[in-house]
Amino acid sequence: MATEKIDAAIDVRDLTVAYGEKPVLWDIDLEVPSGVLMAVVGPNGAGKTTFLKSILGLVRTAAGSVLINGRPYADMRQRVAYVPQRGSVDWDFPTNVLDVVMMGLYGQVGWVRRPGRAERDRALMALDQVGMESFAERQISQLSGGQQQRVFLARALVQDADIYFMDEPFQGVDATTERAIIDLLRALRERGKTVVVVHHDLQTVPEYFDHVMLLNVRRIASGPVGDVFTEEHLRTTYGGRVSFVRAVAAAT
Amino acid sequence: MYRISLIVLLLTVAGCGPSTDPTRGPVSEDEPLRVVATTSMIADVVRVVGGPTVDVTGLMGPGIDPHLYKASEGDVARMSNADIVFYNGLHLEGKMVEIFAQMAERGKDVHAVTEGIAPGKYRESELFAGNYDPHVWFDLSLWQDVTRYVGDRLADRDSVHAAQYRRRAAAYADTIAALHTWTAAKMDGIDPSLRVLITSHDAFGYFGRAYGVEVRGLQGISTASEAGTADVQELAEFVADRRIPSMFVESSISPRGIEAVRAAVRDKGFDVQIGGTLYGDALGPAGSGADTYLGMMRANIATITAGLQHGN
Amino acid sequence: MMEALFTDYTLRTVALGASLLGVVSGALGGFALLRRQALLGDAISHAALPGIALAFLVTGSKAPLVLVTGAALAGWIGAALIMSVTRRTRVTYDSALGIMLSVFFGFGLVLLTYIQRIPGANQAGLDNFLFGQAAALVEKDVLVILGLGSGALVLLAVFWKEFKVLSFDRAFGATIGLPMKRLDHLLTALFVIAIVIGLQTVGVVLMSAMIIAPGAAARQWTDRLGRMIVLSATFGAVSGLGGALVSSSAHHVPTGPAIVLIVSAIVVVSLLFAPNRGLVWRRIREWRHGRELRVDAVLLDLYALASQHTSSDHPHAERVLNVMSGVSASARPTLRLLELLGLARKIDASRWSLTPEGVERAQRVIERQYGS
Repeated sequence: MATEKIDAAIDVRDLTVAYGEKPVLWDIDLEVPSGVLMAVVGPNGAGKTTFLKSILGLVRTAAGSVLINGRPYADMRQRVAYVPQRGSVDWDFPTNVLDVVMMGLYGQVGWVRRPGRAERDRALMALDQVGMESFAERQISQLSGGQQQRVFLARALVQDADIYFMDEPFQGVDATTERAIIDLLRALRERGKTVVVVHHDLQTVPEYFDHVMLLNVRRIASGPVGDVFTEEHLRTTYGGRVSFVRAVAAAT
Repeated sequence: MYRISLIVLLLTVAGCGPSTDPTRGPVSEDEPLRVVATTSMIADVVRVVGGPTVDVTGLMGPGIDPHLYKASEGDVARMSNADIVFYNGLHLEGKMVEIFAQMAERGKDVHAVTEGIAPGKYRESELFAGNYDPHVWFDLSLWQDVTRYVGDRLADRDSVHAAQYRRRAAAYADTIAALHTWTAAKMDGIDPSLRVLITSHDAFGYFGRAYGVEVRGLQGISTASEAGTADVQELAEFVADRRIPSMFVESSISPRGIEAVRAAVRDKGFDVQIGGTLYGDALGPAGSGADTYLGMMRANIATITAGLQHGN
Repeated sequence: MMEALFTDYTLRTVALGASLLGVVSGALGGFALLRRQALLGDAISHAALPGIALAFLVTGSKAPLVLVTGAALAGWIGAALIMSVTRRTRVTYDSALGIMLSVFFGFGLVLLTYIQRIPGANQAGLDNFLFGQAAALVEKDVLVILGLGSGALVLLAVFWKEFKVLSFDRAFGATIGLPMKRLDHLLTALFVIAIVIGLQTVGVVLMSAMIIAPGAAARQWTDRLGRMIVLSATFGAVSGLGGALVSSSAHHVPTGPAIVLIVSAIVVVSLLFAPNRGLVWRRIREWRHGRELRVDAVLLDLYALASQHTSSDHPHAERVLNVMSGVSASARPTLRLLELLGLARKIDASRWSLTPEGVERAQRVIERQYGS
């Protein structure tokens, strides 16, 4: 009996990005099955954010292709949601929380039309999922770091996508928010969604994620955390720093 | 060996500088006097008075606004190489005042032709005391004084031909005097109530004073000042109230200002015409008939009389 | 005067043209401000100068539409060059701005100097583009401003939400399928239009004020995008109208500079007196807050001293309080304030004690700070 091949949620082939002569990502192959919570880790400057951005078409690639559920990314945009780093926007912009979340629906509302009651309700529901419904009318300049992160998450949730890419969502948030976020990500996984997270904290990788990719310009290793998150792989990725690496691997 | 070549090098360099001796002696028979004049009117009078023994270069061509004119490197070089430089003075060449001062300091033969006019004959500015209207060429009697002044300065510089300069100056002054009389007669022929000259800027003050014409300009004495809304309104009201038949634009200034006044006047129910283009701060182009001072004045008078007598 | 606004052709026309310009430049300038592109407006208007000069040289025509088209093309090229240089080289955004601004403007001045030697060139009034000639606006000019301006505003309204995303989070917008690059070009084009229609009114040099000032002022008063843009447009319109009125009421007051002076005044007032963000109110709030802190500090010092004695109204020397406060300033002014508030009492020349109310308040402060 032939097993039918199920398309991987994300299928990256030969992805290469270079700024001039300098390679930032080199020949990356990655297959991410659906329904996993995957961390992308690596040292600073390893290309993690660039990796996310090149999949999403925000950065020009020198080579490579990206398939989402077997189809090119460009065709599958509505199935993909992006949570960028908090520092990538100016939080002094004159808008409120609800407005930011509704921006997630602009692609579906279409040209000329303004978002209406239905969109507003969906945005409020997304805010409820992250525990921010009472903040709907609040100016975004008045939000704490954790609240900002949750607003970005709600904006992604409202798109009802299948695949989520997040760039350091746990960076600089309080413990309560961190717990809330990881609960949310697990809930997404329960529903069969795929979540790829650029993560900065090696200590929490085994606890939070079931898959991991170790990245340093090249793909060092990827797969289930138990198989891949080893001392040897970590050392290759981070180079030296033995005690640090050993401590992390011991926690696995 | 090293020291000798250094000395030789220094001497060569010292000897390589441009000749900066401004006080050359009298000109020889064969070489014409090199003269630079700023405005086309001054260039014209120097050509007439100087005759074949001078070579005149004018800096500002026809239709050029002398109030805003900025001298280029080439202009400065031309003035430096000239034997004698004539400019208007009284701040007409507003952006070149420092250049003239510097040249005079270096001992160059630089003369403001308005110095040939007795100070009592200047028109003083209403707004700024101590500042005078520089548009002297519109009073033909004053331009006679300028002619004689030019003749004298040329004679001083070139004593060989001095007599000829003075003679030509006197003859030309007579011609101008005749035109002066003719102009006065022409202006007298216009009905006093219609004898109002509206132009783009206050260039015709001397003309008004000399020939009994009421003169109003939109911009002030210098085109560097911008007309405000009130200036346009006021002029429009004046034209509409007095039912003046024509306004005039000038060859060296954008007509937009006068056209705006005209639109305002017409809105008040009076159809004022643009009587034509006057040569204000410059002569006309070659072949236009207004490329000499006399031709320019005749052309202006014709335009003015035709415009003001329109509809009569 | 206000009646003349409707009856007098010149005032009506100039005021209308200037106000329309104010609306358009205010609205689009507000977006530029939020995108940190305010100075781009300055660069574009300076870049327009050689465009005007070249348009005249190439076509020989002095028709305003021709010159304005040249201005728009040059402004657009200037903006594109700045973006391109910033993206492709290591030159920073503000350096690229500065370079482009001076190079283009200098080139423009060189062309103007060259043109001044051409007979009849002055009749094109190219010099007027430096500072504008608002008083010379006629109905035809106002119609052009109205046409181009309303077109730009309509497009702004149509693409409002897309421009909002473009300004706030461009990368995110790309991921939800919005054509960010083309939207960027469109918004920049609208920006160029706004600038170019203003050149005849306030001129190249002053146009950046009309772009930046209304938006900067509006930001002070509101935290909602829609209101900010509307307010910015309103400030622009008021400045245009005001400039026309001022220029109409006195002699030899050029209209363009009058408009700019009014909008600058609006900015200064907004920076100082806007309710939340205004500097004056912030100062007052800080001062009040500081005073409250000092009151609480000295109050607690008195309480601490008093708690070492049996009765709470035991007097203490001012000197002691000075030492306790640890700050170089003396505690006397604060003590006087406490007296005013009924929280302390002066016993004699230099001794103070707490009142019962003072004791109560001190206890409350401690509760609040340290938990009960």
